[in-house]
Amino acid sequence: MTTNGTTDPVEDIIVCRDVHKWYGNFHALRGVSTTVQKGEVVVIIGPSGSGKSTFIRTINRLEQHQRGDIIVDGIELTNDVRNIDAIRRDVGMVFQSFNLFPHLTVLRNITLAPTKVRHMPSHEAEGVAMELLERVGIPEQADKYPAQLSGGQQQRVAIARALAMQPNIMLFDEPTSALDPEMIKEVLEVMRELAESQMTILAVSHELGFAREVADRIVMFDEGQIVEDLPPDEFFNNPRHERVKHFLSQIL
Amino acid sequence: MSTVTEPVTTQLPPPRSEIGLVGWLRANLFSTWYNSALTVVVGALAAWALWYGLRWLFIDADFTVVSTLGGLLIIGQYNTDQACAGQNCFWRPQAALLLVTLLLGMSWGVAGEGLTRRIAIIVATVVALFAFLPYSLERMGWDVRLLLLANVPSLLLGWALARYTRLGTWRWVAILSVAAFLLTLVLLRGLPGVPGLQPVSVLYWGGLMLNLLLAVAGIVVSFPIGIALALGRRSRLPVVKLLCVVFIEVFRGVPLITLLFMSQVLVPLAFPENFPLNALLRAAIIITLFSAAYMAENIRGGLQALHPGQAEAARALGLPGWQTTLLISLPQAIRNVIPAIVGQFIALFKDTSLVYIIGMLDIVELSRKFATTYVENNMLPYLDDVQEVFIFLALVFWIFCFGMSHISGRIERHLGVGER
Repeated sequence: MTTNGTTDPVEDIIVCRDVHKWYGNFHALRGVSTTVQKGEVVVIIGPSGSGKSTFIRTINRLEQHQRGDIIVDGIELTNDVRNIDAIRRDVGMVFQSFNLFPHLTVLRNITLAPTKVRHMPSHEAEGVAMELLERVGIPEQADKYPAQLSGGQQQRVAIARALAMQPNIMLFDEPTSALDPEMIKEVLEVMRELAESQMTILAVSHELGFAREVADRIVMFDEGQIVEDLPPDEFFNNPRHERVKHFLSQIL
Repeated sequence: MSTVTEPVTTQLPPPRSEIGLVGWLRANLFSTWYNSALTVVVGALAAWALWYGLRWLFIDADFTVVSTLGGLLIIGQYNTDQACAGQNCFWRPQAALLLVTLLLGMSWGVAGEGLTRRIAIIVATVVALFAFLPYSLERMGWDVRLLLLANVPSLLLGWALARYTRLGTWRWVAILSVAAFLLTLVLLRGLPGVPGLQPVSVLYWGGLMLNLLLAVAGIVVSFPIGIALALGRRSRLPVVKLLCVVFIEVFRGVPLITLLFMSQVLVPLAFPENFPLNALLRAAIIITLFSAAYMAENIRGGLQALHPGQAEAARALGLPGWQTTLLISLPQAIRNVIPAIVGQFIALFKDTSLVYIIGMLDIVELSRKFATTYVENNMLPYLDDVQEVFIFLALVFWIFCFGMSHISGRIERHLGVGER
């Protein structure tokens, strides 16, 4: 693909132009335009129902947008199944409810996609999986089942599972919202380490401490639109919008 | 005022009246005056029923009718003169039985210890013990008894094959099981022109053998069809969905007896003219499809109960739809509905006795027919005198059904390791 002025496929890893999404008559995304560069960490905040989860779910096509363009890693998201699968292989996702596969061991949860989608030999995939489990700090849990792990451990396995596909982008959809307070820290620690390794990250999160420390930009959604998009310092100290001040006053 | 109390440092035992037999009786049987009254009344009824039941079973009951019917209950009229003229055909179902014990032996060899071993040994032993029963069926010589005894070496041979050859995997057991089933059908049906394998019309297949053949074929074939129907009904393709819905609702909406009646007319329509389709095959197809329709709804229930996040997580990893279904959705859905699936298997096994509708003599119909014949020919004064055979039938069915329940319970516990 050639550079066309607005889209540089090397630097701008995610490009969204005027993205709209409706659920029935409900207008969930109302013209979202933004660009994420390679290695950038973007934290998305906003009140519930503001469309922030819907937005990051459109990036790997778990939700289908109905108008506008989304270009991920140089591939435009269309109804072409091959494009969608190609993008999903490149984009890792971590969910609020972990969504580990309960009938498979931790190790198998991680090796499943590399062996089935990337056709990696299983001993090699297991090697990669063990490295990732080391990285998230729970190699000793490899042979257990998800239900035998704590919430924080499960979420760390989910991160390792997404990383096993060697994605260029990681999406986090409220990764700590279902966790007990003492487990939030261990998950944020893994995410922080990931951010430092130059991974491109889009995270919906209400962990403002984490956002302030790690994010390159904080994006605030309200009623299906981006109402603020600023580096953390400015976002917290000098927000341009009344709604941001109001929101911050409510959750701080 | 503070509500913080001094910590209790030693654990106190629970109150005496709450534990032990007395505590249990008080809590469960004599907690109130009406509970006490109910306990006494029900207890008395139970004792009365037990007294008469056991007295009948051990003093009055005469199970000679069971041994009189003997081999008939097992294979029906298969080895009678009409069915198998001028030959002893008893060896053919017996050879099929040897295949079963061989496969059981292999399963034992693959599984090692545990339930499989117990089932294998119990089945082979019970079958071998039949060699010592006083049969009254004609043409029962030493060869028949030796073939029954041969089930023990056959079991051990299977075990050795699994242990010491490359056949010792579940994949091989499955492949050989299918092969053995087909071989059984050929053995029983016979091959024209082959000495010793003269054709036997399926109309003479009967007894427990018939029930088991129908049940095994029905279970093995209806399971995958049920899965396909369940997936089809959830398909986004409107035509596929419609076809599956129509199929399921038709087969669930019509009683099996009616379907079996209709099978004489309906099933041949689906095949080319002059297609050699016998009554047994028609019945088997109907029973299988009937069961598949229920199976589909059970499995659909399991799929419905899955958290949508499971499929989402799989798709987000880049797994294509069919792999998501095969590796993520179906295993969890099936595991969640094992009790319903096994219930359907049990219902199917019991329903096989409905083939009397199309004139086949399964174990129940055979017993009924012979019992009434005895009475009509004044060999016995009352039908009451052959009630033992029905008690025996109940026991046979119960053993098989309870066996299935028991195995499913084991499987559930085995698969429950990572239960949410």
